[in-house]
Amino acid sequence: MSSIRAWWQARYQQWLRRRLPPARSILLEQRRLFIFPSRMGFLFMAMLLLMLVTAINYQNNLSYALTFWLAMLFIVAVHFTHGNLMGLTVTAVSASSVFPGQQTEIQLRLTGSPRRGHSAVRLVWPASETIVDVPAGSSQTVTLFLPTERRGWYVPPRLKIESTYPLGLLRCWTFAQLDLRALVWPRPLVPEVMAVASASDNAGGFSDVTGVDDLAGFRDYRPGDPLRHIDWRAYAREQELQTLVFSAPTRENHWLDWEDYPDTPTEQRLSWLCWRALQHDSRGDDYGLRLPQLDIALASGDRQREQILRALALHGLADLPPETSA
Amino acid sequence: MTSAAIARPALAWIVLCQIIVVLPHLTRVPWWILTVYVGAAFWRFQVLRSRVELPARSIRFLLGVGGAAAIVMSYGSFIGLEPMVGLLLVASALKVLEAVRLKDGYVLVCLSFFVCTTEFLFSQSLPVMLYSVFASVMLVTALILLNQRPGTRMTPQAPWLAVRMLALAVPMMVVLFVLFPRIGPLWSVPSKTGQGTTGMSDVLRPGEVSKLGRSADVAFRVRFDGDIPPRSQMYWRGMVLNRFDDGAWRTLDWRDHPASERRLQVPEFSGSPLSYQVIMEPTLQRWLYALPYAESETTGVLEAWDYRLMVLNPIESQFGYRVNSWSNAVIEPVLSAWRQQFELALPEGLNPRTRLFMRELVKTQSSPESIIAEVLRFFRTQPFYYTLTPSVIDEPDFVDRFVFESRRGFCEHYAYAFVVMMRMAGIPARIVGGYQGGETNPLNNTVVVRQFDAHAWAEVWLSGRGWTRVDPTAAVSPARVELGLEAALSEEEGFLADSPLSAYRFRGIGALNWLRLRYDALAWQWQSFIVGFNSAEQLDLLKNWFGEIKVSWFVAVLLGSWVLVLAPLTWFMARQRRPAGLLASERDFVRLRRRLQQRGLTLDSASTPNQWLEQARVVLPSTDPLLQALERSVNDLYRTPAQ
Repeated sequence: MSSIRAWWQARYQQWLRRRLPPARSILLEQRRLFIFPSRMGFLFMAMLLLMLVTAINYQNNLSYALTFWLAMLFIVAVHFTHGNLMGLTVTAVSASSVFPGQQTEIQLRLTGSPRRGHSAVRLVWPASETIVDVPAGSSQTVTLFLPTERRGWYVPPRLKIESTYPLGLLRCWTFAQLDLRALVWPRPLVPEVMAVASASDNAGGFSDVTGVDDLAGFRDYRPGDPLRHIDWRAYAREQELQTLVFSAPTRENHWLDWEDYPDTPTEQRLSWLCWRALQHDSRGDDYGLRLPQLDIALASGDRQREQILRALALHGLADLPPETSA
Repeated sequence: MTSAAIARPALAWIVLCQIIVVLPHLTRVPWWILTVYVGAAFWRFQVLRSRVELPARSIRFLLGVGGAAAIVMSYGSFIGLEPMVGLLLVASALKVLEAVRLKDGYVLVCLSFFVCTTEFLFSQSLPVMLYSVFASVMLVTALILLNQRPGTRMTPQAPWLAVRMLALAVPMMVVLFVLFPRIGPLWSVPSKTGQGTTGMSDVLRPGEVSKLGRSADVAFRVRFDGDIPPRSQMYWRGMVLNRFDDGAWRTLDWRDHPASERRLQVPEFSGSPLSYQVIMEPTLQRWLYALPYAESETTGVLEAWDYRLMVLNPIESQFGYRVNSWSNAVIEPVLSAWRQQFELALPEGLNPRTRLFMRELVKTQSSPESIIAEVLRFFRTQPFYYTLTPSVIDEPDFVDRFVFESRRGFCEHYAYAFVVMMRMAGIPARIVGGYQGGETNPLNNTVVVRQFDAHAWAEVWLSGRGWTRVDPTAAVSPARVELGLEAALSEEEGFLADSPLSAYRFRGIGALNWLRLRYDALAWQWQSFIVGFNSAEQLDLLKNWFGEIKVSWFVAVLLGSWVLVLAPLTWFMARQRRPAGLLASERDFVRLRRRLQQRGLTLDSASTPNQWLEQARVVLPSTDPLLQALERSVNDLYRTPAQ
């Protein structure tokens, strides 16, 4: 019995995938939208039936008229409910990278059709939902949060876009498999053992260098400069963005090496390396990563941190097809 | 999702809708039902303001039981349509007290639609229809408010959307209304108890008819195919009262006739009939009103033993029927011995003075006709008064007291006295109850008969002439028959005393009276359409349009017209959402660009709007309206959000 159900579920999912393939941006059009009476629609129909029986039994023409009027209103509502979602475009904008257990912030842009507005559109994910109005010809950015669990790529489940507007008698909906994924980094954990000496030029792992950096001067901001080094006070005075330049000697070279922790389970190793990476980053060190099939040269800054966390997050996982977005 | 809480504006709107749909019922239901509505609404709003709690389940249960008990106390039982409607009203009022979730909002809206329907069971008049259209717009708006994004402010957009959707539903509604087969009742339904209905009853006691003189309610409307007969000829015969019992006149039931008397003699008549259509307000009685001698081809209308028209079931909603009348007909030319004896019967020993008077009178007269003339002359010459407020005579010798002492009476007093006097003189006689006259509306050739036109007169049987109408009231007050009750009672105050707000009161003011007649004409149109549309009418109409009808054909037409009506709707919706095409601001710019090319600008369509604008500024003077329009349009173009 359950195998039949599982088989059926699989077939249904397959059919949905074929019918609604994943895409970065989805225009809700005729063949994507499903429509069916809602529970309240069935209540309304029951009332219409009662009214019809009253009209027949009392042979009352005005009751007939009202019954038919409301029944036809139901038909009109099919078109209006359907039209309320028709022409709406849902675009995946971004999904923030997070540590496991945190909620990834997903941004979607809803763009209304040029001709008609869309009212009370509900965006539903199992763990998160919101309801928005999109006026005709305008667009709206919506933020939703989805919980993550494991390191690696987190692909949000199918997004349900539904609406019962205007009368609530019908529910129009579609599923959107948005081409959207969030990177989930390893959970940073304080290493429980010292790193063994290895080929790396810095065996200390995390030598405790805490000297205050000497400020050497300012230069114009260049993309990639650590945010912490921007002179925000100057920026607040409406000057150009300036980056604080520190004297070089405080920079030290550190290698995070896969071989630092032999005989340790993979996830633990990644967690420890991750913690160390964050430590180095917060101090502005130059640091690099050596994984079995990947080397990342010494560098510092936001870009380096992103690169290294990403390498740690995806280590050993079958990578997904390349992202279509930049 | 329907488990979300119901928003405050939606709840307020629904409560407003509830009050709107219950208002027309208030003329019929006990007053306390309104207090239940107001009380429940007040309680619910105090909850919204966190002043009190919603009632607990046990209290709601008690309120429900109390409401049902109050209904029973007000109506005497649950049986009948009015108590059932009362129960529905109380239930829908109390439902507000448990309206918490969105789902409850829908339930309330559905209940209100049903309350709206029950109003039609009592009246299908034009104002009720218009009011219900208004109520429907309000209720559909309530549905829209329930579905708006929480926090949306109330704007005129919601009612406007409701109006548009309802308007789009009208064509299909009309098709369904015309084509939906009118089948008979599926099962028997609670019938009306008749509280609050005014009209003639089937028992006539002195004082019974004069009560109706105080009401301006419409009894029935008549539309003549040809000319309207003079007012003095319009005696709308309703019931025949020939059995005197216990101080009151009653109708002899057909079942009380011996078998040999149950056959109708076909009256003798000639010439072309007076043809007309009658639409009667509900009376909860079985008899119809018509000018004698009347025949009707309407299905369900029967002819009774006393030559009046009847239906099998009490008339609970407006009823329309067609009548042909021959005023020259001789009704029952031969009177059987049983009938003769019955129509002469009087209780023994009553009214000795009248008996003596009649005995003397008969001695001096040779024919029944001269006896009648003599009695009428007696009424005319003695100081008899026609009044709505006769002196009350409550004793067995009513005729003695009335004829020789009080001499103040309404039509039923005269008819009563006259029939007793005729029977004493050996002339078969009986009382006829109905209406006399009516107000003529020249705008559409109709006559509106109101309750104050109620009248009672007499019929006497004369050999060779059959049953002949005699109106003793006409002898006392000719104006009653010629001009109507109002003229006859010009010095009295009781007239219309029970209808203080009736539009009939304004008939003296020219323009208002014209409006009133105009409205009456419209009401006739509406009534004859909405009341008259039954299965026979429907079949006639369809045969007229399409010829012979088969079931398969019927289904095909229903589906075909469905497609015909749905197609424009689909087109209307599709037009609104066609994604391709230009924005309004873009269309605008393209149009202006064409006009600029006509004015000699040479740029091609690949140029940017700003380039067009620059060149236009060089070529055109700054006051040129085209340039100004272009500036606006370019501004619009760049303001439109990027997609």
